[in-house]
Amino acid sequence: MTYNLFIYIIIAAAAILAVTAGKMLTSAIMLAVASIALSLLLFNFNAPWAAVFELSVCAGLITVLFISAVSLVKKEDESLKESRGKFLLLPFLALAAFITFSVILPPWFETLSGYAKYPAGEFKVGEIIWNLRSIDLLGQVTILAAAVFVVKSVFGKRSEQ
Amino acid sequence: MTSTFSMDWLFAAIIFFIGAYCMAVSRNLIKQLIGLEIISKAALIALISAGALSGNTNLAQALIITVILVEAVIVATGLALLVKAYKVNGAIDIKKLNNMRG
Amino acid sequence: MTTELLSYSLIPLLSALAIPFLGRKNRKITEILANVTLLAGLANLAYMIFHPMNRNSGYAVFSFDGLTMSMLFTIYLVAICCVFFASVSGMVKSEKNSFYPLVMISVSAMSSMVLAKDFFTLYIFMEALAVTSFALIASEEGTLGIEGAIKYLLLTFPASALIIIGISLMLLAGGSLRFDIMSQSFSTAHFAALAFITLGFAIKAGLFPFHFWTPDAYQGAPAAVSAYLAGVVTKISGMYALVKICMAVRLFGENAHAISSSLLLAGVITLVFASIAALTQKDMKRMLAFSSISQMGYIAAGAATLNPIGILGAILHIFNHATFKTVLFLNSASIEKSVGTTDMRKMGGLEKNMPFTSWTSIIALFSTAGVPPLSGFWSKLLIIISLWITGFKFAAVVALIFSIVTLAYFMTMQKKVFFGKPKEELKEAKEASPSMLAPAVLMSLIIVFSGIFFPYVFDFLEKTL
Repeated sequence: MTYNLFIYIIIAAAAILAVTAGKMLTSAIMLAVASIALSLLLFNFNAPWAAVFELSVCAGLITVLFISAVSLVKKEDESLKESRGKFLLLPFLALAAFITFSVILPPWFETLSGYAKYPAGEFKVGEIIWNLRSIDLLGQVTILAAAVFVVKSVFGKRSEQ
Repeated sequence: MTSTFSMDWLFAAIIFFIGAYCMAVSRNLIKQLIGLEIISKAALIALISAGALSGNTNLAQALIITVILVEAVIVATGLALLVKAYKVNGAIDIKKLNNMRG
Repeated sequence: MTTELLSYSLIPLLSALAIPFLGRKNRKITEILANVTLLAGLANLAYMIFHPMNRNSGYAVFSFDGLTMSMLFTIYLVAICCVFFASVSGMVKSEKNSFYPLVMISVSAMSSMVLAKDFFTLYIFMEALAVTSFALIASEEGTLGIEGAIKYLLLTFPASALIIIGISLMLLAGGSLRFDIMSQSFSTAHFAALAFITLGFAIKAGLFPFHFWTPDAYQGAPAAVSAYLAGVVTKISGMYALVKICMAVRLFGENAHAISSSLLLAGVITLVFASIAALTQKDMKRMLAFSSISQMGYIAAGAATLNPIGILGAILHIFNHATFKTVLFLNSASIEKSVGTTDMRKMGGLEKNMPFTSWTSIIALFSTAGVPPLSGFWSKLLIIISLWITGFKFAAVVALIFSIVTLAYFMTMQKKVFFGKPKEELKEAKEASPSMLAPAVLMSLIIVFSGIFFPYVFDFLEKTL
């Protein structure tokens, strides 16, 4: 419990830093920190497969994508200084929201958790992916194919020019 | 292990709020995409916590793997569009995109 | 998912993957392959639907459900019209070997969405559909398309996060995500889950406070793509799921009426707001986009009455909307090609030069406004009747009044574009070529015939729903 709380605080802090950071590069790195913390959380929830995916895809691939995009649009970094006033508001807003949330939401969540129902049987991850939810694999193939053609269409050469 | 459900969802709500705040105030498109990522982290926390509480962690794991893949594809698409917008407009400022409201 | 119908989503996907290899040398092959795949699918579906033998024989084991089949038919019909138009008009400037595969993948994703039996499957294919739509919207050079695409992206992904949160609540409460199992037991957690999911899909469907990406996207995209997006993509990605939820909520009885009433309210506000916004537009495509948003309002209001008549009306209106909006967008593309603009202030008196375009537009706009006996009249009638008999009398009156407003703004459009004195610089405007007119004429015939033979259509859907 304490360990989870510690991880949650890291994720929230990294998220706040990513939002308030002046440089886009810092934001991207803070996002990676949040992802790493989330993958530790997933390990702690006894979900090793999901944790590995989170670590390799979110903390790895997405961070690389963000950093390369940031380096492509680098000169924007200076001209796009955020109006810092808005971000100075964030801690106060977050504090107010935290207090409201911790008063109102937990009782509601407790009520919700009372509705938890156990499923009929426990399956292994592999069984679920390959047998029970095999149609999701078709979805993954579809979305990957879509991504390939999107990148091709956005960066490809125009035929009639 | 005692249930940590309400703490999980409390933090999921807070993280969702941070991401939504980022998307609401930021002018920078990359910041907006980072806000999207933070929101999806909140969704993942909600998913694994609900799975753990109802003793269905493995199903939640299978769903999370798919969601992570979708997330990666969306971010890649978003960044591709961003780079194209940068080539055409010379800017990644969301304010410069608002020239045709109405 | 109904595995027996899976071929409707697998074949376009395979075709999409094959196109870049087969069409590398000869670009014609790309177009032919795309057209042939969709035409074959459409012919197959039409055979299934119009041949009652296939439905009842022991050979066909799939669950024959009218909603699924009519949605599949709509998807293939609009897709073949738009792809055919794009390939004969040559108005799509982006690379053909990525444009046609994207269309095919989105057809595949939509078919899978329609066949999906649980919310998570729906979610994945919806994301695949959204990803392809970003690229299709941005396939035109210029800033408008990119702008629409980026707005869509920034709006649609938070909506997916809401849907995921709803799905996790559903996982918590029942351990299953299927539509049918979910509706057998109901609890507060299910209510919260449905509220989250409905909110997410309402954002994706472009209901009132979240509509602002739609006009930009439709105006910025190439016209064949606008017809495709307005005709099916946004309907399937948002509205179809909402109709499905409404059908599930109906099974819960009184427990979940708060959700459906707020959906109904959002629908009515959407149709009022978008009709008023459409009155003031100067650009033809943008006016069509606002009209499309207001028709979404009708569909949402009809489905949210939870009445069988209302849900049937909503499904029929999705189909009708697909037909008439495709005609109008394709005609706007023909006009754009011969006149060079879609700004209505620069047009006038095109009727003499483009008679077919003018007449198909008149049929489509009368159908949109609900003039009998065209098909749009019947679906609007069903929606308004069901609003009236479920007690939302004020909403019924508003829906009736605003269908007159629809007629008003479309008549303004028709007058500005086709009637009146021909402008000097438009004297040379030529009618589009016969092959470019073919999709619009086909769709107009479908509008007229499904209006005249409406009782048969109604019987067919009522039996299978």
